[in-house]
Amino acid sequence: MRKMKRRVPGSRTKLVYKREKTGIHRCANCGRELHGMKKLTASQIRKLSKSERRPTRPYGGYLCGECTRELFKDRARKQFS
Amino acid sequence: MASFEIGRVCMKIAGRETGKYCVVLKKVNDAFVEVTGPRMLTGVKRRRANVDHLEPLPFTVEIKEGSQDDEVLQALEKAGLITKFGLKRPSAAQVKTEKAKPPKEAKVEKPKEKKEEKETKDKKAKKK
Repeated sequence: MRKMKRRVPGSRTKLVYKREKTGIHRCANCGRELHGMKKLTASQIRKLSKSERRPTRPYGGYLCGECTRELFKDRARKQFS
Repeated sequence: MASFEIGRVCMKIAGRETGKYCVVLKKVNDAFVEVTGPRMLTGVKRRRANVDHLEPLPFTVEIKEGSQDDEVLQALEKAGLITKFGLKRPSAAQVKTEKAKPPKEAKVEKPKEKKEEKETKDKKAKKK
């Protein structure tokens, strides 16, 4: 919560609270916006259940869907080539 | 690219079960394939999976089309894949309960009235 001074009629200054902006969750690999990630402030996210905070998939909320697909495809190919 | 024939072992690369192994049971059409883990071994349910969400591995297992989970399990055991993948064998009790479970009835086509019910509900909602 950002505190800002604002001049108010009656030659007084008043303290105004500004809610902080929520960041956009981006994929760690390709930088694309992540699906399934709610754009809420930390206090609101804390109230959510774990499955509401991010997609229930390995690397969900960290890598986008396509990057996880590529990752596991390469992993399978390298491991068993 | 290895093809998706019956008994092909694949790894799921999309969805909740990403990174888990499964065996192809039946070819539904050129885009979909029926797959099972089996669930007690790899955690992949017996389900229809899109071919793009599967990565074929260079292993196959001799099973009949649409065979039961315990047959698939024995076939995997015989092919020595359980040790190769380092999977935990399900205990005999699990195998028994899995078998005892009644098979799910096939998806019944939703009867027509479902639509009418929905419309009447919307009308009521509008009236309120």
